[in-house]
Amino acid sequence: MYRRGISIAMAWALPFALASAAAMLAGCGSDSATATPATSTTHGTLALSPPLRIASVDAATFTALIEAKAGGAQLLTVATTPICGVDFYYITFWTVGGAGEITESSGALMVPTGAAPACSGPRPIVLYAHGTAFEKSFNIADITNASNTEGALIAATFAAQGYIVVAPNYAGYDMSTLGYHPFLNASQQSGEMIDALTAARTALPTTYAASTTDSGKLFITGYSEGGYVAMATERALELAGKPVTAAAPMSGPYALEGLFDAAFFGDVNLGSTLFTPLVTTSYQHAYSNIYTVPTDFYSSTYATGIDTLMPTTLTPYSELFTQGLLPLTALFDSTTPVVPGLTALLAVPSNPNNPLTPLFAAGFGSPFLINNSARVDYAVDAAGNPDGTAVGSAALAARAPTYGLRLDLYKNDMRNGSWAPTAPTLLCGGENDPTVFFSVDTLTMAAFWSAVPTSPVSVLDVDPAAGPSGPYALIQGAFQASQVAEFAYLESTGLTATEAQEQLVQNYHGTSVPPFCSLAARTFFDNF
Amino acid sequence: MIHSALRALTVVLLLAAAQITRADENPSNGIPNNTVRVGEYWIFYHLYANDVAGPYVPQGANLSVRNNETPYLAYLRRLSTHFAAEFTLGIPPLTKTYGKGPAAAGSVPYNGVELTTARWFAPSALLEYVFFDDSCRLRPYIGAGVNYVYFYSRQQTAAGNAVVGGPTAVFLPYSIGPAATAGLNFQLTPHWSIAASYSASRVTSRFDARTGGVDRTSQISFGPQTAVLAAGFSF
Repeated sequence: MYRRGISIAMAWALPFALASAAAMLAGCGSDSATATPATSTTHGTLALSPPLRIASVDAATFTALIEAKAGGAQLLTVATTPICGVDFYYITFWTVGGAGEITESSGALMVPTGAAPACSGPRPIVLYAHGTAFEKSFNIADITNASNTEGALIAATFAAQGYIVVAPNYAGYDMSTLGYHPFLNASQQSGEMIDALTAARTALPTTYAASTTDSGKLFITGYSEGGYVAMATERALELAGKPVTAAAPMSGPYALEGLFDAAFFGDVNLGSTLFTPLVTTSYQHAYSNIYTVPTDFYSSTYATGIDTLMPTTLTPYSELFTQGLLPLTALFDSTTPVVPGLTALLAVPSNPNNPLTPLFAAGFGSPFLINNSARVDYAVDAAGNPDGTAVGSAALAARAPTYGLRLDLYKNDMRNGSWAPTAPTLLCGGENDPTVFFSVDTLTMAAFWSAVPTSPVSVLDVDPAAGPSGPYALIQGAFQASQVAEFAYLESTGLTATEAQEQLVQNYHGTSVPPFCSLAARTFFDNF
Repeated sequence: MIHSALRALTVVLLLAAAQITRADENPSNGIPNNTVRVGEYWIFYHLYANDVAGPYVPQGANLSVRNNETPYLAYLRRLSTHFAAEFTLGIPPLTKTYGKGPAAAGSVPYNGVELTTARWFAPSALLEYVFFDDSCRLRPYIGAGVNYVYFYSRQQTAAGNAVVGGPTAVFLPYSIGPAATAGLNFQLTPHWSIAASYSASRVTSRFDARTGGVDRTSQISFGPQTAVLAAGFSF
């Protein structure tokens, strides 16, 4: 009995023991595999392969999705109805930060799909650089996010028309652990674009749309900050001897020194209180010459924590203003500093004949972002080493300065060096842009390169004062008609004419011009 | 592979238990103390799952599981006239999880698409109260105990991969929960009987699908209820 009792106990225990053994045999993780992480962190390496497909939409579904978005119907009118479906992939890749740090970044790979001849087989690549995002969570690949209007725009304009699109989010955004964004750092940002392109080319054959392949044609474009990045990338590739089929930088701050000189002398551009911390943090990491402590440059009201403020984790980014972390528009002190020979140039703008005077004047107030001491140091340097845009020289060159921030802007100014585009290049923008001044940036670059024999650079102003003309007259006419329609719409919402006009100015750079310049870029690319 | 091994182990286990406990009769009345039951499980899921959460998940995406059946194996130990202990060990069924909610994620079908499969190794231990006395051939019983579920062979289907955007690792941790049963046993002969029962148990887990660096999760309560019809041999 005793022996039998033990045996019975064992009979009970055995199944549990076997169950435990089976559990151990089966392991405690997953029994199926996911994407494989790269073993190398060399820049340009695809970090996870195959990449995640965020969404897959056929042409009809994509059309319906765009129509459902605010302004979607207008976007379709401009970008034309999709002929291809689009697979949206989220790529992660290794790149290098602004101070040479190995870091991971992410972005979008949009692959055209569908039965139409333009939607599979060898297709050209558009390497796209997005405009400045203020929120760290920005992810241009996330087409499921209704606020991702730029992702929808480029998908509709390029991918749904048969172009493979590669668009990095930039280091410092989305999943990037880099604690800052290397904003307007030509070397870093062009390098990251090329790394994204390399990673995307690695990823493409592993996607569900593997029948869509790289034709070898490479187009580069981007808007605002992305326009600058697109130009820097074109330069980097051409200087490296890598062919670019064509490029279309749009509304970018190419002539950085000239643009910032204009602002420091009173032409304060819209959005400058957001852009400035991005610039100083970027250059402080890259060159360590902006300040010893933030109060060297920033007013004590905003200096604390400003070096880690942007891009922000607050959502929406307007919380930066609500919470008093940044001034809405007051970049400078409304009390004019007294500097022999410069006082008048540093005064609050008051020219009644300039329609932008109210905008510029709004850049002054109290509390303010940049202290007068830093502004005076900058202005003295600018007066002593004037940028070509200020002196109106034929060369319009940037001039080597001595003041830290200005020196950094000079280093990253697209006029620095002897490069001129060799690939066909269309510079697109709107001449009334209150954020990135068309004359200071787009026209300056065109003039700077005008002496180059057989220059492949052309300029498109989608909003010419003289009215539509030339090969893009239809786009110009459509843009100006859209401005009229938008003004009427704003008035219909109860705004006065003045308020509607102010709103129109605020929308101009960020939402009004991009669809039309993007369409112009695609029209331009379609020629090759 | 593991499924086959478990099936073999289960059979060996029951045979071993039968051998070990051979002729284990109650000396006072000659009633065998051990019973082995073999039959069929019908599993009816009453699944409740939170909408799948994580990046790039369409709103309202949920999961469902289809009912299942599998061979049933059990060992009972008679403890007294009214009490018995039961250990059940069904052949691990292949359980399939389906998309439920939006018809499509983008243009990829979702609702009704088989997303994942997993096998359940699900032993239960129950203490049962048996009504009436040993002289009755038909004896109802009720029982309560504990249920353990280990999920293995967790696989994402190709269609599931297409829905979520790529090759996916599926995680489904084990579950331990209460179980209850009610049934009838009809003694055909001193050694042979048939039994029918209906059982319920709590099986909860956290469905976790990892695709290309992103996590999508859903807290799942499977709520399985099982009907059993089995033949028993007592010794």
